[in-house]
Amino acid sequence: MELRMTNVTKTFRDVNAVEHVSKTLESGVYGLLGVNGAGKTTLMRMLCTLIRPTGGTITWDGNDIFALGGEYRKMLGYLPQDFGFYPDFTVQDYLYYIAAIKGLRPTTARQRTDRLLEQVGLSKERNQKMKKLSGGMKRRVGIAQAMLNDPRILILDEPTAGLDPGERIRFRNLLSELAQDRIVLLSTHIVSDVEYIANEILLMKDGRIVLSGTSEELTAALLESVWICTAPSEQVGAYLQNYKVANVKTLQGNAQLRIVSPEPPAKDAAADIPTLEDVFLYYFGEKAGEEDVSL
Amino acid sequence: MFRYEIKKVFARTGGKVALLLLALALAAGCWMAADTYYVNENGDKEYGAAAAHRLRALQKEWSGTLDEEKLRLAIGEITALAATPQAQSQDVKENNIAFGRGQATYGIRGLLNDAFAVDFQTNDYYRAEHLTPAMAGDFYANRIRLLREWLTDERGNAYYRYSDAEKAYLLRQYETLETPFSYDYTNGWTRLFEWYPWIAMSTVMILGYLVCGIFSGEYQFRADAVFFASRYGRDKAVAAKVQAGLVIVTAVYWAMVGLYSAYVLAYYGADGISCPVQAASSYWKCLYHITIGQMYVLVVTGGYIGCLFISGLVMFLSASCRSAVAAVMTPFVLIFLRSFLEMTDSNVIEKAMGLCPDLLLQMNRTLCLFNLYEPGGKVIGAVPILFALYGALTALLVPTVYKAYRKGRDS
Repeated sequence: MELRMTNVTKTFRDVNAVEHVSKTLESGVYGLLGVNGAGKTTLMRMLCTLIRPTGGTITWDGNDIFALGGEYRKMLGYLPQDFGFYPDFTVQDYLYYIAAIKGLRPTTARQRTDRLLEQVGLSKERNQKMKKLSGGMKRRVGIAQAMLNDPRILILDEPTAGLDPGERIRFRNLLSELAQDRIVLLSTHIVSDVEYIANEILLMKDGRIVLSGTSEELTAALLESVWICTAPSEQVGAYLQNYKVANVKTLQGNAQLRIVSPEPPAKDAAADIPTLEDVFLYYFGEKAGEEDVSL
Repeated sequence: MFRYEIKKVFARTGGKVALLLLALALAAGCWMAADTYYVNENGDKEYGAAAAHRLRALQKEWSGTLDEEKLRLAIGEITALAATPQAQSQDVKENNIAFGRGQATYGIRGLLNDAFAVDFQTNDYYRAEHLTPAMAGDFYANRIRLLREWLTDERGNAYYRYSDAEKAYLLRQYETLETPFSYDYTNGWTRLFEWYPWIAMSTVMILGYLVCGIFSGEYQFRADAVFFASRYGRDKAVAAKVQAGLVIVTAVYWAMVGLYSAYVLAYYGADGISCPVQAASSYWKCLYHITIGQMYVLVVTGGYIGCLFISGLVMFLSASCRSAVAAVMTPFVLIFLRSFLEMTDSNVIEKAMGLCPDLLLQMNRTLCLFNLYEPGGKVIGAVPILFALYGALTALLVPTVYKAYRKGRDS
């Protein structure tokens, strides 16, 4: 079970959305982390055969995925970022339809639908029309449809977008449960989505994978680069201008700053244990998704 | 997959509204086709199915071979009636009484008006009243004579419009019509044909709306990514869409035509099915040698091919453009295309106009048009070309729609 990208490039007119990406994915959870516009969605769409690379190859166990066609797609589960559905279908009809186009037999489709609806907590809503569901519920249906065919490759593009904190925790637990013996590629700009469940995190920037490794490996690279220091409130602006500031905490006229920098930003700065969010800030120059703060 | 494609179309509110519109169009078509009256002996008009049945009973008295003898009798009766005080009266009521008495020969009167018209393109409602029984023998010959005069009149358009071969073809068609032909009460069929274009055109316009969503829906609802990333998203699921489109067009069209035909024929009666179309005044000039029954087959089959072609084009456009906006306009454009082209004065465009797809939806009128073509030097009427052309194009459209959609969107 090996999904290999070799020198994959995708150009839209004169814009390189994905540039020379080479990576081999084997069983496990991969977190694709990057800011909006980094090329995550384009890369995922290529992995789902929705768009063809301008250059390079993508192979599944040595065979070109575009040549494999339906044989490849039958192993694929995909939840797109802008998950669309048929508003007048009930949840059950929608899942039965997706099961049909995924090639599942009606009996299997019914069994899988029942089980997945239970897993995503939507058993009671099975006869509701899709258009009547809340945003979080729609997302859960999206996750269920991706899992219908028990895919060996599960590609989830921003799966937690629109989910509340509770739903996101439930999703992570569900994903951990489902991740056995399959490749799961999960894109997000929310660090905590992948921090604890991803076996490997791929940092994507400007169409390239700039760094990859386990959460520990990535954070280890930032040892002695994350600092905590205290400064008068009036100096906070200067720090924000000159450093990558991960956090500012106000303390009675002063501010405690968490700064990512190769050098100590102040004499009294103390090194702190780096987190994946610090890594994100270090490479992307901006903070990870806001929802992360709430978890 | 197929079942869900059908469900997608009719589950949305627009699909239900379209079904309602189809029902309304059918009801309107039936109502208009059933708009007839019978004038009783008091000169009063009676309406409804009973009136249609009384009229039928009257006109059936004249059914049979329309030979010289029958024509002589009919002329005698028409002229005698025209000379009655009621017919001559200035009082409308009296005129109505006279009209009522002439209802039995109303169909033959129309044919006499055509046969003895001043020229090929004129129709005088009172012409039959000025005939003599002795003129009955010229009835069939006049049909040919008027055509010949029209084709050879240098002051007319026909002289320049048709080549010698085409003129010869038209005359040959007229000359070879088997006469005397059988005559019968044909109101059921003529009324059916008269309002059939309304049924076909409203059906194709509503069908266009119904089927365009089959292919643009995934893009409209942003469900395309999941669809195309699925196992059958590039083959069987696309084929199910094409199949759903064809089944919807077929089911809706035949349901509309079947219900409309059943209603009109039940209302008026289906008499005259084996008469040549020329036995009905509306089709007196028709150049094709077909019976009314054969004409019905041509009308409904032509309508079906037209519906399939136009709906296929709608599906192709919505599959290619991934939008229903342009596609849903297609039936309107195709139906009104000839109206725009008529403004131009070009022989080529005139020839092209004779092959516009809307002609399939109004085959009853198309059969009366003298649209001729000379492929390979052989003169042929537009009707067989229309059937062959759009039959072939429709057959081509099916795999084209499939191929256009399965590509998805690479952007």
